Amino acid sequence: MNIVWTVVTATALAALTFIEPQSVLSVCVDSCSQAVSAALGLCGVYCLWLGIFEVAERCKLVEGLSACFHRLNKFLYGNVSQAAERYISLNLASNMLGVGNAATPSAIAAIKETERGDTLSRTGAMLFVVNATSVQLIPATVIGLRASLGSANPSDILLPNLIATAFTSVVGVALVFCAYGRAK
Amino acid sequence: MNYVVPLLLVAVLVTGLCKRVNVYDSFVLGARKSFNLSLSVFPYLAAIFIMVNVLHASGADVWITKLLAPPFECIGIPREVVQLVLLRPFSGSGSLAILTDVYNAYGVDSYVGRCASVIMGSSETVFYVASVYFADTKVRKTGWAIPIALLCNFLGAIAACLLCRIM
Repeated sequence: MNIVWTVVTATALAALTFIEPQSVLSVCVDSCSQAVSAALGLCGVYCLWLGIFEVAERCKLVEGLSACFHRLNKFLYGNVSQAAERYISLNLASNMLGVGNAATPSAIAAIKETERGDTLSRTGAMLFVVNATSVQLIPATVIGLRASLGSANPSDILLPNLIATAFTSVVGVALVFCAYGRAK
Repeated sequence: MNYVVPLLLVAVLVTGLCKRVNVYDSFVLGARKSFNLSLSVFPYLAAIFIMVNVLHASGADVWITKLLAPPFECIGIPREVVQLVLLRPFSGSGSLAILTDVYNAYGVDSYVGRCASVIMGSSETVFYVASVYFADTKVRKTGWAIPIALLCNFLGAIAACLLCRIM
């Protein structure tokens, strides 16, 4: 990430300085302001979901969820701490429901639980890949946009979308197994 | 489908009530964590946004798209959606804008429009997700995680174009 970011940004900055020097600073400052508003937006979303998750946790609902997904989690992640397994289950459930924004706080909590060193473990890598390739039942944003632009059948992409996401999930999990071996 | 998440919210609160949990206190306790979380995410977002916006402003993205369009066409990705495939790992809002452009230029229900829809639906903003997920940890070496996720997104794009051809 260090090298990629530095090389790409430096090259693009140099090019931009050459083409349009007066816009360099405004582009950079705008990007940072954009980050502030994005972070604030995320703060609101996390606020709702972390609150709801805490309630669900106190009701022992998350324990039940964790028990439902136990076999799958064991296969994907091996032996992880109980707390991590709960967050992972919560994350999986949010992903399946297509509430992508709810999946983020639980994934972050799970990763905080499993990662101690500066190198990403197999568990963290698996969690990241599962989230990055997650099976999405309903791509709500895309369907909404299609409908608003007058598509004759906005949801006719459902089936190809489901197959494509299932395909990427399987490939992703298989690749993690190839790269890191079986779960311990 | 519109009812699932709202009903889930109600169900959690009602369960709390039945189990005599202090719902209000728990909610506040959980919600409090969100501020620190977004605070640790924020600088990473700024870095990603600077990279994407500078790249876009310098016109380098158009160049790269032009350069990669022929090889992408060989593996079945139409040149109209190449920019979408390339930008998708970096920026959610940026790729959504490109998706809208594709719809407007080629039609929502055209082959290209449907391709773009499935590519968008089946991929993820990998770099964005990576910066957010690892923001609050000491993790600096992510090993195979990002390459695997990128490769999957790319294979997903190829699959999307193929699937739209036959479905």
